[in-house]
Amino acid sequence: MKEIVAIIRPNKITRTKEVLDALGFPAMTANAVFGRGKQKAIIGEVSFDIQNADLRKEEGSMRYIPKRMISLVVPDEDASLVVESIMKVNNTGQTGDGKIFICPIEDAVRVRTKENGEDAIL
Amino acid sequence: MKMIRAILRPDKVEEVVDSLSDAGYVALTKMDVIGRGKQKGIQLDNIYYDELPKVMLILVTPSEKIDEIVEIINETAFTGNFGDGKIFISPVEEAYTVRTRTKGL
Repeated sequence: MKEIVAIIRPNKITRTKEVLDALGFPAMTANAVFGRGKQKAIIGEVSFDIQNADLRKEEGSMRYIPKRMISLVVPDEDASLVVESIMKVNNTGQTGDGKIFICPIEDAVRVRTKENGEDAIL
Repeated sequence: MKMIRAILRPDKVEEVVDSLSDAGYVALTKMDVIGRGKQKGIQLDNIYYDELPKVMLILVTPSEKIDEIVEIINETAFTGNFGDGKIFISPVEEAYTVRTRTKGL
């Protein structure tokens, strides 16, 4: 099993959910997080109008950008499909599209039935 | 690659973020969390706090940078009291950048 952690734009979350649902991965955990990438936080990334002109000029003058972090656990063979579809939906070509990480998961348990391993996530 | 998850005091986080970016580790994710440690929360006079607010920082870095980053976080977030936090390191197999669709950090 693999855990796929994707940090994406908040306004892309609905489309991402629709696409993953259509592919048969309806289960996920989502979280509102703040973060920044290599470029530090770029001020043009946020959609509201910033009045202060000095602020707008400087790269890295904002500390964080709001993002959504989604994480889903899938069987090994489905990991690349999920990664591909998340990348396809979220690609806008602008800096700040996000990152996707794949981490190994040793075991999973479904609380209701106490099932183990892959049975628990399918 | 490794993922570092550091659970820290909310008032120390900005300091940690600044010292990490001074050392060249700019990219990170920040999340507000609530939790408790071995001490089961805290008792202040008559009030017992079962769960305490903390901030979780998440960074993914190449494996060889781990020691340096953990050292920076440890140095900066240290106060010597209970509740300074914990740092967890877990493996990451692959990373992708969405914009360029390439593998790697």
